[in-house]
Amino acid sequence: MTTRKTDIVIVGVGAAGAILAAELAKAGANVIGIERGPRLTNEDFAGRDELRYFERLDLRPDPITQPITWRPNDKARAVPMKQVDYGNQAGGGTVHYGALSWRMHETDFKPRSTTIARYGEKAIPEDSALIDWPVDWAEIEPFYDQAEYDLGISGQAGNVKGQKLAGGNPFEGSRSRKYPLPPLQKGQADELFETAAQKLGYHPFPSPRAILSHDYKGRIACSNCGFCQAFGCPFGSKSSTLVNKLPEADATGRFSLITNAMVYRVDTDNSGKATGVSYYGPDGSENTIEADVVILTTYIYDNVRLLMLSKTERHPDGLANSSGLLGRGYMAHIGARTFVAYDKRYVNVFMGPSNQKHSLDDFNADNFDHSGLDFIRGAQISVSCAALDAGPIGATQAITPPPGMHNWGAAYRDFLSQYFARYAAVIAQTENLPYLDQRIDLDPNVKDKYGLPAPRVTYDWRRPNEIARIHFMQKKLQEIGAAMGADKVWESPLGQGSPGGHHQGGTRMGSNPKDSVVNKYGQTWDIPNLFVIGSSTFPSMGSGFNPTLTIQALAYLSADAIANKYLKNPGRLI
Amino acid sequence: MGNTLDKHRRAFLIQTAAGVGAVAAGAVPEAQAQTPQPASMAPASAPVQPVGKGAGVGAFLNIDNAIAVEAMAERIMPGAAGKPGARDLGVLNYIDLALAGPYARLQEFYRLGLAQLDAYCNSEFKGGFADLTAEEQDKVLLALQQGKASGFEWPTAKDFFETVRTHTMEGMFADPIYGGNKNYGGWRLVGFPGAQAMFNKDDMETNGPFVREPIVGLQS
Repeated sequence: MTTRKTDIVIVGVGAAGAILAAELAKAGANVIGIERGPRLTNEDFAGRDELRYFERLDLRPDPITQPITWRPNDKARAVPMKQVDYGNQAGGGTVHYGALSWRMHETDFKPRSTTIARYGEKAIPEDSALIDWPVDWAEIEPFYDQAEYDLGISGQAGNVKGQKLAGGNPFEGSRSRKYPLPPLQKGQADELFETAAQKLGYHPFPSPRAILSHDYKGRIACSNCGFCQAFGCPFGSKSSTLVNKLPEADATGRFSLITNAMVYRVDTDNSGKATGVSYYGPDGSENTIEADVVILTTYIYDNVRLLMLSKTERHPDGLANSSGLLGRGYMAHIGARTFVAYDKRYVNVFMGPSNQKHSLDDFNADNFDHSGLDFIRGAQISVSCAALDAGPIGATQAITPPPGMHNWGAAYRDFLSQYFARYAAVIAQTENLPYLDQRIDLDPNVKDKYGLPAPRVTYDWRRPNEIARIHFMQKKLQEIGAAMGADKVWESPLGQGSPGGHHQGGTRMGSNPKDSVVNKYGQTWDIPNLFVIGSSTFPSMGSGFNPTLTIQALAYLSADAIANKYLKNPGRLI
Repeated sequence: MGNTLDKHRRAFLIQTAAGVGAVAAGAVPEAQAQTPQPASMAPASAPVQPVGKGAGVGAFLNIDNAIAVEAMAERIMPGAAGKPGARDLGVLNYIDLALAGPYARLQEFYRLGLAQLDAYCNSEFKGGFADLTAEEQDKVLLALQQGKASGFEWPTAKDFFETVRTHTMEGMFADPIYGGNKNYGGWRLVGFPGAQAMFNKDDMETNGPFVREPIVGLQS
C-alpha cells in the first residue's frame, strides 16, 4: 500500500483527462493521472490486425471481465453487453476511435428553448427531460477553436465569422477561423455520396477528423491505410491524446501517470470534501492518492459508478447526488443503415478513414422544419463502411445481406466475393432525447474482475419520438441510396432497443443544483473540489454528431476555469 | 457422435496422421487446386502452425468434433471452383487453435453444442451432421439459426449457430497467422489487399479494383 500527495488527481487519462493533465500541469499544478490500462506507443500498433483489434476488442474493455450490463426495462434481468466501444488505455477512446471531430451546432446548446420557440412546448415529449445546456456558443466556441488547433483536426470550414464557405457544412455555427488542416483525400464512396446528395439538393461535405491531412506539429500525414476505427495508428497520424497531450504533460515535469491501476473510491472527509482517491494496483494492492482537487474523466460508466460506490453517511445516495439525478438521463446514438452495391464499378471503402466519410447535415438537429412531423431533433447522415472498420471480418458481422439471402452458404459467399469491394453503407446516426428513467445504476448480480458491481444500464430507445424519427431517417437513406446509382439498394433492419454508440449522460450538467449533478465547468454542485468531465455531463446529445470534440472543448473550458479561477480561489465557481 | 460414419473417421485420422490436409467429409474440393496462389503471394515467413501441420485438429477438438465443425464451416462458407471455402482455407485449424487458447472459455459451449447438434441430426435425419447430404445440412443450419431445432438447452441452437458462423468468418478472413485464410485465399476471394501501408490519390480515385501486389499480412 502506498500513499502519495498531489495538487490534482485525474482519474482516466483519455479524450478529456489528458487535456486536463497537460493544461493544469502547464499552469503550474502537480498532477497525477491514474489509468486503468497500459500506456502504449505507436510502435505497439504496427500490426494492423482485424481479428485482434476489431473482433477481439484489444484496446477496448473486455466484456467478460469488465462487464457493463443492460436490460430494456426494470422488470428484465440485465445481461452483459457484448461490447462497449470505449478505451482501455492511456489516451482512452481517442487511441482507437474513428476520429470524427464535430462541433455541435449553435442551437444544440439550447435544444429546449429553440424547440419551444419554433414548435411550441407540446412538441417536446412529456416524459423527456430535455433541458438547455448551461454553456452557450459564444462561451464554448473559443475552446472548440483551441481544441482543433491544439490537437490537429482536418476539415472544410462552412462558416467563418458568419461568412458561408462553399464545400463546407452550411449549418455549422460561426467559427473564428478555418480548420488548421484541409480535409483528407476523397475516396470513391465520398464521390458517389456527394454527387447523389447534391442532385437531391442537399449539402454534402467532408467529415471533420482528428487525422492529419498534412504533417502537423512533428507528426506525419495520414497514408489512407484505412485502419482507423478499432485500431491504434502506427504512424501517429491520428490526433489521439496519447500522441499530442500526454507528451505535453510529460514535458512539464509536474505530471506523473500511474497505469494499470483501478480507482474504486473517491475519498471524502467529515466535511464532505473530497480528499483524494483509492485504487487497486496491478498486484491487487490498495493504494491512496491525497489531492486538493479530484477530477473524474473516465467514460460515463465509471464516472457514475465511482460516485455511487463512494457513498458515505454524509452522502448516502452516492457523492454529488443531492439532486437524485446521478446515473439518470442515459442516451446513445440510434443507428439506421441502407446499403448500396455496384455491379460495374468498385468503391473500395477500405481505403481512407473507414467510417462516416462524407456527411450531410440537412436532417440533423433542428436544421430542417419539423412542423407536421411527429418528432423533434435529427441525425447526421454519412457514407461509411458497414462496421466500425472496413475489413472483411467486419463486413461479415455488419453487412446484412439483401432480402431473401441468408448470411451463410454459397449465395452469401458469392455475394461477399462480388460486393465486398463494391459496396458502401449510407448511415443515419440519430440523436436520442434524454429520459430520466433511462439510467445507470449498480448491478446487484454481476461483478467485474475487481469485485466491483458492474454498471447496469436500463434503457430502450424505442419511444414514440425516437421511433418516428428513425423511420423518417430510413426513408431519407433510401432516397439517397437510390440516387447513388447503385445496382442494389437495400435496408438493414433496425436494432432491438439496446444502446448504440456514444453513450452519454449520468452526471448531467445544468444551471442549478436541483436539475443537474454538475455545473458547466464539470464541478459537482455538492462537492466543490470534485469535478466530472466527459460525455456523462451531456444533458442532451446535442445532435447526431459524434461527441468527442465537444468533450474535449469542455475539457479545455474546465481546465481554464480550474487554472485561472478555482486554484486561485477554491470554492464554487458558480 | 457414435453415429458418424466410420469411413469419415478413418479418412480423417489417416489424413491427419499423414499431415496432408483435412478431407473429412468426402473428396478433396477442386477449388483447393484451383485457388490462385502465385509464388509472390506467399508470406515471407510461414505462419506458426504448432499442431497438426494444417490438418486442422490436435490443439483442442477431438476427431468427431472436428469432423462436425469442419462440416458446419464448409456449409457456412462452401468451396467451389475458383472460390475457396472453409475447408480449403483451414477454418477448422483456426477454430481448433482458438478454442485451445483465446476462446478456451468456449470449450464446453462447443462440446455441448456439438452433442446437441448430433442428437438433433440423428433424430431428424438418422445420422450425424457430417453424414448428411448438403441439402440436409443446410436444413439443419437454417433450423439452428432460426431457433427451430429441438432439443437445445445450452447453448441455444441460435447461439451455437451464430458462434460457429462468426468463427468460420474469422477463420476465413483473419490474418493467416491465426491458422486460417490459407495463403490469403479469403482476402483474395473478396478482393481485400490486407494491411496496406498506404493508398495514394490514384488508388483512392479509381473506380476499378485494387490489384497492386503484394497482399500484406502480419508476417509480410
